[in-house]
Amino acid sequence: MKTTEALLETETETKGNSEASGRELENAAKIHYLTGSNAKFRKTEGNMLSVTADGETHPAVYVHCSFPHTNRTSYLSIRNIDNKEIGMIRSLGDFDEATAKLLEEQMQIRYFCPEITKVLSMKEEFGYSYWEAETTAGVCRFTVRNGGANAKLVTAVRLVISDVNGNRFVIPDIGKLGDKEYRMVETIM
Amino acid sequence: MNLNYILSSEDRQAAELAVGSPIEYCIPANLSILSRLSAGYFVIGEQHWAYVENGEVLERGAIADAGEYKMVPLVGSVVLEAEEAGTKRFIVRATMEHAARFGYLAGVLNDKAAQRKVRIFNNEEERVCVECGGSLIPGTRACPRCMSKAAAFKRLFSVSKARWGGFAIALTVLLAGAGIALLNPYLLKLLINGALQPAEGEASSMTVFYWAIGGLVACLLVGELMSLIRGRVMAKVSSSIAADLRKLVFDKTQSLSLGFMTSQRAGDMMNRITSDTERIRHLIQELCTTAIFQLIILVSASILLFQADWRLALIVLLPAPIVAYMHMYIWKYVLHKLFHKLWRIHDKANSFLHDVLSGIRVVKAFGQEGREMKRFREYNGDFAAMTIKSERLFSILSPITNYLIQLGQYFVLLLGCNMILNNQMDVGELIQFSTYAAMIFGPIAWLMFMPRWIANAVISIDRIFSVIDEQPEVVDDKEPVKHPINGGIRFQNVYFGYKSYEPVLKNVNIDIRQGEMIGLVGHSGSGKSTLINLISRFYDCNEGAILIDGVDIRSMKQEDLRSQIGVVLQETFLFRGSILDNIRYARPEATDLEVIEAARVANAHTFIINLPDGYDSLLEENGNNLSGGERQRLAIARAVLKDPKILILDEATASLDIDTEMAIQEALQRVTKGRTTIAIAHRLSTLRSVDRLIVLEKGVVAEVGSHKELMEKQGIYYMLITAQRGMSKSVKGQPQLTAAVEP
Repeated sequence: MKTTEALLETETETKGNSEASGRELENAAKIHYLTGSNAKFRKTEGNMLSVTADGETHPAVYVHCSFPHTNRTSYLSIRNIDNKEIGMIRSLGDFDEATAKLLEEQMQIRYFCPEITKVLSMKEEFGYSYWEAETTAGVCRFTVRNGGANAKLVTAVRLVISDVNGNRFVIPDIGKLGDKEYRMVETIM
Repeated sequence: MNLNYILSSEDRQAAELAVGSPIEYCIPANLSILSRLSAGYFVIGEQHWAYVENGEVLERGAIADAGEYKMVPLVGSVVLEAEEAGTKRFIVRATMEHAARFGYLAGVLNDKAAQRKVRIFNNEEERVCVECGGSLIPGTRACPRCMSKAAAFKRLFSVSKARWGGFAIALTVLLAGAGIALLNPYLLKLLINGALQPAEGEASSMTVFYWAIGGLVACLLVGELMSLIRGRVMAKVSSSIAADLRKLVFDKTQSLSLGFMTSQRAGDMMNRITSDTERIRHLIQELCTTAIFQLIILVSASILLFQADWRLALIVLLPAPIVAYMHMYIWKYVLHKLFHKLWRIHDKANSFLHDVLSGIRVVKAFGQEGREMKRFREYNGDFAAMTIKSERLFSILSPITNYLIQLGQYFVLLLGCNMILNNQMDVGELIQFSTYAAMIFGPIAWLMFMPRWIANAVISIDRIFSVIDEQPEVVDDKEPVKHPINGGIRFQNVYFGYKSYEPVLKNVNIDIRQGEMIGLVGHSGSGKSTLINLISRFYDCNEGAILIDGVDIRSMKQEDLRSQIGVVLQETFLFRGSILDNIRYARPEATDLEVIEAARVANAHTFIINLPDGYDSLLEENGNNLSGGERQRLAIARAVLKDPKILILDEATASLDIDTEMAIQEALQRVTKGRTTIAIAHRLSTLRSVDRLIVLEKGVVAEVGSHKELMEKQGIYYMLITAQRGMSKSVKGQPQLTAAVEP
């Protein structure tokens, strides 16, 4: 039977082993990385994103983030309308500024989650809370259903609120909220 | 669902000019491409569409120029896209609450572009309140803000009318009890003034003393007796009303259509039948006992106070509401929030514990014990800190609130004693006065909590009555026909979608002969299970008709129709009870022999007879004490006992091992002889034994024919089969395992 100390030690041991297996993992995963040299992105007349990669042109592709809340610049999956992956982008730095900007715009379209800059009012009644808040998209009024599932902490400080219609709002850092605002937000967490 | 929003006059003018015709549909497209909320609207005219914002037309186009209009849901917003000149184009964007509207309009645009009749079945209800625009309570048509409490209570009243006798008795007893409670202080005064502290010059009278004491004791006894009677009567009344409500709701759930029931969660329905009715029962009991009692006491005591000494009364009564309010404030806001926080941390820690302890196998397999111990330390620490904090706060606040309540009494004492010393009052009067004063605070504080508590009960009332009021979607004809089925099925131009703007089946025309075995094939999501739901008339098709032996199923009684159709689903559902009960569920009047025969046909008899309790073996919830294959065979036995003319098999052999599958296949061969069978099948073995195959692709009948014909055609069916065969060939040295086809 392992003692507590022994168990805590084993944790650090296993970290060493994982580096060797990482390379094997990479070979098995076979990710096709797109960079500025092998892929050209452009915006079509219909306002969609198109990419020419390895000689093939895909007329409408979408940018999917692996970590939409914590990392929007790395590990982006470029997929077409049938959800087939054209390739992955290891980092936006692999592209020139104009392309990076274009990709960021596309991510803004796909992931619409306005940031709440100020909570104006919150009223709780009958199992729902009625919010009014200033956000990066304008002043929004939304209704959140009570129960923990609608306000989730995706990181230690980033809170995503889903309203009854499926709209999402994010508070980037709950630690930075004013006292009053924090108390309002707390009731739905 | 509102598809015709009213535009401002400048918007409307601009829009009409842009589309060149009167506006047919108009919905908000309130999100710009740069992610700002806007007051934009998407407008459809006869042949053009336009996007107008603040009187300006920002974009327009001809509908026929593009095709394949689609509402694409993104993360947190929706986008209307179309295909134009071989490439996709973006049209407008909106926030999530308009998703369904765009779904409809995409359908409209597609119909217009293809010059088809615009097919729109706008019967989806708006999810928002028509008066205030807020969301409705899910599963009801009530808006929490605009809900009229009076209306809810009226409904409750109509249901409880039948028990008025009990109410009358309870009320009488209540009044009597209140009267006695108020008599108490008076007797006390008599006691003190007459015997203990008589006025100057008067001798203490033992007679008065004994009478007073006797009176007090009698009051106590009678008061308790009243209380007892009241409790019993109200318990009976409120429980009966709750039972009535539960019966109404449950009966309704049985008669409502599958569509409504599947749109609700089973747990939600259960809550309405159990906890919501319980809340109402509690409300009735409390309301008709404690609430009225408190009110009477409050009013009478106040009157008596004023009668005794209006100055003192004022001093007592004025601060009372303020004190009660503070008491409520502290409780509701400070303490409640505190405990809510504590509860949250407790909940998180608990979930963590539950996770780790039930998943201990995974923890050990990945060697993460150390990590979990660390995490527990954190949670544990947080919880302990929070408990200390809240207990500390509670220990300070609790005495404060109690003290505030008692404060009034000290004032009374202060002033009263002063008045006694000035000979304006005697001791007895003071005691009487302070007893009445003490009676005031309780009711006030209690009544402060009533509004919230009534509001919660009103929600429960609404949730219950919303089920009772719900109309079933699939209704029997006024004069349903009784038609013994022979087994011929025909689909005529059938269109159907669970959400009417998203048709799952389009223009389906099928003719199935009596006794034929049909295999239904297609990719997942192509509409196979939907087709089957329609045959059983769990949903009515939007357009077209389904005929059995030439008779429209809508003209038949639902129970009659379904009693002649047997269904074996992919996921079996068995009820609690013995195996015998479960098989007999199909036909309760079947004899034991018939049950055994059905089990033999289904190849279930062998394993049942080997069980220690045989057919009397008790099944746990959903038959979890049997294996998947055994449960499946019981379901087949159940279907067989019904002796249906039409048998529906929905992937009845998915996820079973090869031996079990062979046993079941063999059983099915026996079962399907002479019956019209429709089997959704993925296994080659099943497919080979069918007479004909119907291939569905994206909701449309793509191919029809026998296995041989379709293989020669080399169409979709051919692709599915070769993909399956390819998969099984690549597994060397193993018997031809057939797996479910994935797109």
